[in-house]
Amino acid sequence: MKLPAQQRDGTIVVSVSGRIDHATSEEFSTALAPLLDACQQGTPALLLDFSCVEYISSAGLRVLMMASRQAKAQKGSFGIASLTPLVQEVFAISRFNLIVPCYASVDAACKVLGQ
Amino acid sequence: MSPAVGPAPGRLAALLGLGRGRLVPLLLLALAGLTLFHIERTPLAELQAGQFDRYQRLAPRERHDEPVIVVGIDSQSLVDYGQWPWPRDIIARLLARIGEGRPLAVGIDAVFAERDQTAPARIARRLPADQAALLAGLPDPDKQLARALAATPTVLATVGLSRELPGARLPIHPLPLFRHDPALEPRLPQYPSALSSLDLLQQAAAGEGLINATPGRLSDHADRGVVRRVPTVALLGQRPLLSLPLEMVRQALGGGEVEAEGDAYGMRAIRIGDYRLPTQANGEVFLHYGRSTANYYLSARDLLNGDLSPDIFADRFVIVALLGTGLQDRVITPLGDNLPGVDVHVQVIESLLDQHALRRPAWLPTLELATLLIAGLLLIGSVPILRPRLAGLTFVLLAGAIVGAGYLAFLAGNWLFDGASIALLLAPPFIALLANTLIAADLRRRAAERDLQRSREEAARIAGELGAARSIQMGMLPDPAKVLQGDPRIDAAAILEPALAVGGDYYDCFRIDARRLCLAVADVSGKGLPASLFMAIAKALSGVLMRRHGELGKAAGDIEIELSRENPSSLFVTAFIAVLDLDSGEMEYICAGHDAPLLLRAGEIQRIDTSTVAGPPLCALGDYPYETGRIALQPGDTLCLFTDGVSEASDGNALFGSERLGDLLRQLPPGDVDLLCCALRDAVRRFEAGLPAADDLTLLVARWQGRPAN
Repeated sequence: MKLPAQQRDGTIVVSVSGRIDHATSEEFSTALAPLLDACQQGTPALLLDFSCVEYISSAGLRVLMMASRQAKAQKGSFGIASLTPLVQEVFAISRFNLIVPCYASVDAACKVLGQ
Repeated sequence: MSPAVGPAPGRLAALLGLGRGRLVPLLLLALAGLTLFHIERTPLAELQAGQFDRYQRLAPRERHDEPVIVVGIDSQSLVDYGQWPWPRDIIARLLARIGEGRPLAVGIDAVFAERDQTAPARIARRLPADQAALLAGLPDPDKQLARALAATPTVLATVGLSRELPGARLPIHPLPLFRHDPALEPRLPQYPSALSSLDLLQQAAAGEGLINATPGRLSDHADRGVVRRVPTVALLGQRPLLSLPLEMVRQALGGGEVEAEGDAYGMRAIRIGDYRLPTQANGEVFLHYGRSTANYYLSARDLLNGDLSPDIFADRFVIVALLGTGLQDRVITPLGDNLPGVDVHVQVIESLLDQHALRRPAWLPTLELATLLIAGLLLIGSVPILRPRLAGLTFVLLAGAIVGAGYLAFLAGNWLFDGASIALLLAPPFIALLANTLIAADLRRRAAERDLQRSREEAARIAGELGAARSIQMGMLPDPAKVLQGDPRIDAAAILEPALAVGGDYYDCFRIDARRLCLAVADVSGKGLPASLFMAIAKALSGVLMRRHGELGKAAGDIEIELSRENPSSLFVTAFIAVLDLDSGEMEYICAGHDAPLLLRAGEIQRIDTSTVAGPPLCALGDYPYETGRIALQPGDTLCLFTDGVSEASDGNALFGSERLGDLLRQLPPGDVDLLCCALRDAVRRFEAGLPAADDLTLLVARWQGRPAN
């Protein structure tokens, strides 16, 4: 899985696309690992742009949960922005907005995280 | 090791496999080369001779005219002129008749080594003196013959002897001029002694010629050897002498010089006047036979009694030979003809005049050896990398090409190239190569079969273990009907179908006490074996904790804490757990990141409102304080708990969704909850239209009937 990243207002914005399900979650986790390792205290915040994610399953949620935990342990900032309606629904049902900070848009996230 | 593979084939296979399967074929090829080099000393020599005979049978020498005539002293001649040996005056008469026709040269295929028995002087010795005197005046037949011999260029026969015999006599007409390299002399046939005619007759004749033939070994033919090669020149008492037919030609040419082309490696050709005949190293000519015919055989009787005009002999060679039964020698030719020995002389003269003989120069066996080695190395290089069928085809084509080249070489230029022996000698190295290839292929096939069998066993074992795991997992799930045992207050049914052999979903249905029933549906993140193990722990733990705790939210918190204690893989569980008061219809519930269940009330679908109380999945945060929600059921309310195996079932484009589930619930006939459950499951499977299930599917349908009136 390709995760194109760009720096924007002191935040690393990573574009995620496609389906994150049982089949692709492992790949997603592997691709995310180096970015997460760099997400430390004092480094730019890591923001996943979810505007192109069609679907996320419980396996995908687990990757996000572990990412959030790792970032928290490293005292880094981590978040997700621009959830599509379907993914938004999954987050709502599973209450994952309590686990991973979610933002309505990348701009909004950058304002918060970029400080 | 299987009993079929004994130690001996194993050793053979190991031997053949040496040097990457090439050592044994190389050794066999070297042996084949040695055999071909010394083919004369092996049984293959007969095969080779037979192959050369086949060439001749395929294309015998064409005979244009009849330059040689045989005057045969045949059976009819013996009948008319008496037994052999004839008095020599009769032979003198015969020669005189022949001489009248003015032939080019006459050859006599007989040796007159002793005095004529019928000479009057000899008879006179047995008679009284008076009668003896009468005989003494008669002419001497030997002298008469000598006169006849002198009248025409005549060549007498000489037999070379390998040892001195009584009456042996060397010829007196060795070649006057024999140009040759003295180094080749050791290669020529040598005869220390010879059987020749009387000096008187020798002196009268123009020349003498050798009549020794070189028949093949006796084993070549049932009764006599096949005459394939005849000497052209030999050394008799160290003096050169031509064979009878060649000496006849030399005499016809005026008795000039003879040249032997060649050097220390042997002779290559013999040249008489302008005629040149290719020879073997030892001076033998490899005769190319023409088909036999009786046209040029005449009877001596017809000539003696005047039935035949001698004009026929003009400008021809004439050979006088004994053809009477019991007197003649017969030979077998490569064409398979059984002929009088004199025919060989005829064929030699014709060959010389045509300057035509079969060609097998000294370098040809070397060419054969090179062909064998190159073809063998080609096979050794190619067979191990080809498939057996292709390797076989390669050999057949190669051997066919070599044998075919032999035939072509013969047809094109009368070259004697022995393709058959080469093809035969290539067979052992090829068989060794092929055997090694087949053994290697067999070993590979066996190894592949073993691997396949092993992987099958492995798959069967895993399938068996998974099957066992599945039945254990399914056995953990309660049957709601059994739990409720016909409780009139409630009906419940459930279905769980893992996407793989085992899954991470579970449901639960148990009584906490007489009034309270616990209903739960949960989904461990992921699916398959890892999820199923966590599911087993989660279900057991939640069952225990739910039974102990009165307060639902606190129980959920404890479940989360206990599950999070040992959770290295960071799995989490979404769950909806409800406790229903069967008497009052009051229901408490907690929702941990799970889909809100549907409620069918009076034909309308609503969702249990979890929005205010829902928390994240169990184990996601580890210490979330779950809040308890409450709802009062009305009699006839139908609850439908499900997991994402239902809501997120996909037809390839869209998801099944909880709304579609709600519509179905409303439309289906209310009746039996078991049937309802199955109908919902079938609807999901139809929607998936044969696609593999994305996730484990769980449905739990419960209908609260209210408290009975009594």
